[in-house]
Amino acid sequence: MIATLAFASLLRHRARTALAILGVAVSAAMLLDMVMLSSGMRESFRSLLLSQGFQLRLSPKGTLPFDTEATIRSADSIVAIIRARPAVAAVSPVLGGQLHFPLAASMVNATALGVEPSVQGDYELVEGRNPSAPEELVANDALLRALGRAVGDTIHAASGYDPQLRSLSGQRVLRIVGRVRFIYLALDQRAAALPIGTLRAMNGPQSEGRASLAMVRLRPGADVERERAALQRSLRTVTVISTSEALKQVDERLSYFRQLAVILGAVSLTVGFLLVTTLVTVSVNERIGEISVMRAIGVHRWRVVAQILVESTMIMLVAAPAGLALGLVTARWLNSILARFPGLPERIDFFLFQPSAAWTALGLLALSGILAGVYPSWRGASLPIATTLRQEAVG
Amino acid sequence: MSAIVEARGLVREYRMGDEIVPALRGVSLTVDPGEYVAIVGPSGCGKSTLLNLLGVIDRPTSGELSIAGERVDRLSDGRATEFRLRRIGFVFQRFYLMPALTARENVELPLAEAGMAGTERRDRALELLDYVGLRRRERHRPSQLSGGEQQRVAIARALANRPALLLADEPTGELDARTGAEMIGLFQRLNTDGTTIVVVTHDEGLARAAERVVHMRDGEIVG
Amino acid sequence: MSIRTTLLLICIALRATGAQSPPSRAPRSSAGARTIAIDSRLASDAKLQVGDRVVISSEPGAPGDTVVIAGIVQRSADPAEIARGEYRVRLHLDHLQTLLGYGDRVDRFAIRTRGDGSAPEAVARIDAAAYGFRAHRSADVAVETSRTFAVVSRFHRAIGVITIVASAIFLLCIMLLKVDERRRDVAALRLIGCSARTIVGSVVLEAAVIAVLGSLAGVAVGGAASWIVNQHYQAVYRTPLRFSIVTGDIVVLAVALSLVLGLAAGWLAARRLVRTPPLALFGR
Repeated sequence: MIATLAFASLLRHRARTALAILGVAVSAAMLLDMVMLSSGMRESFRSLLLSQGFQLRLSPKGTLPFDTEATIRSADSIVAIIRARPAVAAVSPVLGGQLHFPLAASMVNATALGVEPSVQGDYELVEGRNPSAPEELVANDALLRALGRAVGDTIHAASGYDPQLRSLSGQRVLRIVGRVRFIYLALDQRAAALPIGTLRAMNGPQSEGRASLAMVRLRPGADVERERAALQRSLRTVTVISTSEALKQVDERLSYFRQLAVILGAVSLTVGFLLVTTLVTVSVNERIGEISVMRAIGVHRWRVVAQILVESTMIMLVAAPAGLALGLVTARWLNSILARFPGLPERIDFFLFQPSAAWTALGLLALSGILAGVYPSWRGASLPIATTLRQEAVG
Repeated sequence: MSAIVEARGLVREYRMGDEIVPALRGVSLTVDPGEYVAIVGPSGCGKSTLLNLLGVIDRPTSGELSIAGERVDRLSDGRATEFRLRRIGFVFQRFYLMPALTARENVELPLAEAGMAGTERRDRALELLDYVGLRRRERHRPSQLSGGEQQRVAIARALANRPALLLADEPTGELDARTGAEMIGLFQRLNTDGTTIVVVTHDEGLARAAERVVHMRDGEIVG
Repeated sequence: MSIRTTLLLICIALRATGAQSPPSRAPRSSAGARTIAIDSRLASDAKLQVGDRVVISSEPGAPGDTVVIAGIVQRSADPAEIARGEYRVRLHLDHLQTLLGYGDRVDRFAIRTRGDGSAPEAVARIDAAAYGFRAHRSADVAVETSRTFAVVSRFHRAIGVITIVASAIFLLCIMLLKVDERRRDVAALRLIGCSARTIVGSVVLEAAVIAVLGSLAGVAVGGAASWIVNQHYQAVYRTPLRFSIVTGDIVVLAVALSLVLGLAAGWLAARRLVRTPPLALFGR
């Protein structure tokens, strides 16, 4: 009977009900977006960092991986020390640089990653194979398009370009053996990967034994934090960070977005709360006579309150899926804007949908809706019956 | 047999700003089971106030009141509500049906509140609508019913839980003469079938139909 | 390796020592040490002050130079430096070149021309005269380097659009509810002869007053929020950069928009009521 009465009351004022559903849906959408934003970046970045299974990263002392052009000296001996540790399953050294590809009428520049192909964690093979010889490289679609080349072609590359003398240094002819997708690079960033020894040789003596970064994969069951601390103690010229530490750094840098998400989320929730409060208050005020009659014929106060709360819950239930759909659409739009950050890895999403985010948003909204309705409905159900009946005309 | 209504020295005062307005000044009344009592008097004499006290929808400022053997003048809100649900049937001048519900659903409302199961509730509601001659209008909403039909639905609702006492506040006040006469006949039938009725009215015909007429003036019973 | 990067490395060296222990203060020497300037962030974190002697090197653990801190510099309000944790050190050019073994190389020249009008001419002359490198106007470089902030701007604008749309819906909803509450008053006015125009006019006037008062309150809240945002983020990121600025045209836009929305919502709500027959408004 409560549900019947609630449903009938909602249908009685269709326009008002429809508007209330729309208002709550918009509130739900905004709240969902903000919950997705606050947790999405972190989760997206965490997935990215762990996608290849490397739990630790070593970079030059005081820097974050690829944050500067600094390199680790004597990287080979450092890698050997790390590989000797029982808990370590694999170490992938990476040297960052630039490659210049002179074409007939232009010069194409690209990011170069010197890697050990057998343990690399920087790209996924789409076509072809990993480099197995010094004069081989793999490239992404953006670079292949710019070069007008395909897998199997050879290409003239240089590691240095002196703009004053217009001369190239560290030149090689390399064969393209694979087409890849780089995990940590932006979508439109032209990039190639080749054996680290080849890139070092092309760069010249200053690159000998150097690496920009080393990624470490531990054996299953290894204590990540303990290994990190042990490596940090023994290797003084590098900074060793775990995934959680890297996430912390990212959190700090992107704290603006998280705080914005919290603020806008709180605003959405507040506005949704105010909307439901107003709706319930108006609804109760309009039916104060009806409510008093129900009390007069013996309907308990809590049941009157329950009926009104059922009405606001019904609005929530209809608005929630609509809000979810709207939220996902706007999240996609907002994500497409933020995805254009220069240098942002292709796989980073600012708005990541997780079922927990949807439940959190909807749960918060439902709770605020119920709380918003409790006071005005309780107040309405507690008015003195006789006085109210005298004042009101119903039916 | 003990009285259905035993009221002794009922006083009801209202505070209007700094002034205290006495609506009832020590009213005592007894109603026996199966009686049909009409309370008459000029506007503002306190008859509706008295009816509200008998219906346990208001509390006396002082005095004692027992309905069907139970003291009701100091009940908690919850107990009073429960009492109204099970022991009192109230018919209002303006019908006060739920506009969003059908006739049958309006009659079912107190049955649902009393915990009656769905099918049984439906059957009982139809039985009551049949009793007041409105079974064929069970699916109509109040806005689709005439004044007399609405009042009959209100009477059916009031009888839902077989109350010990049926109270009616100006039940013919919003009705035309012919419909009012039909209503008078219905009340007589109810009383003949054993319902104890107390009605407040200006309607002479309704008052004449009652077994006993109680006159009120200025918050007191004068005859 | 660019000078910019090297600057960072030097910071790293300083930071490395600072993170684990106070910077090693070199013993006083009778020979005059070179001077450097450090940024206020480094001075605060490493508890350095003018006159302190520190050792700087281009690599961790490598032998370096003993220098004296001659000045502490407040970093500029550069958005590109937000959320970056590195420190900045300023050295004399020749000192840095020596430290790095850079010879006489530099990354760039910064040129101040006589007046803005002569910049294009200077660019053209340099490009023609100098072999192998190009001149750029600072404004053009700024556009290129502020791509990140172009994205943030677009994001803010998108959030603004969503907020305005959502606010419009909420406003319409609440206005309809509140006006609906007065349906009996409206019905009574209609029954005694007031025209629909009068009623709509009075509701719209009321909505306008609420919109104006609400806008003024909103401007005050927005101004306060802007101040709080600046105070907070300037402290978090340790920068003099102003993150939020409330300008005259923003205020005008916000007030105009809320006025228009408020009036439209009031008009729509009132129109809906006056089109309903008065007796229906009474529920008969």
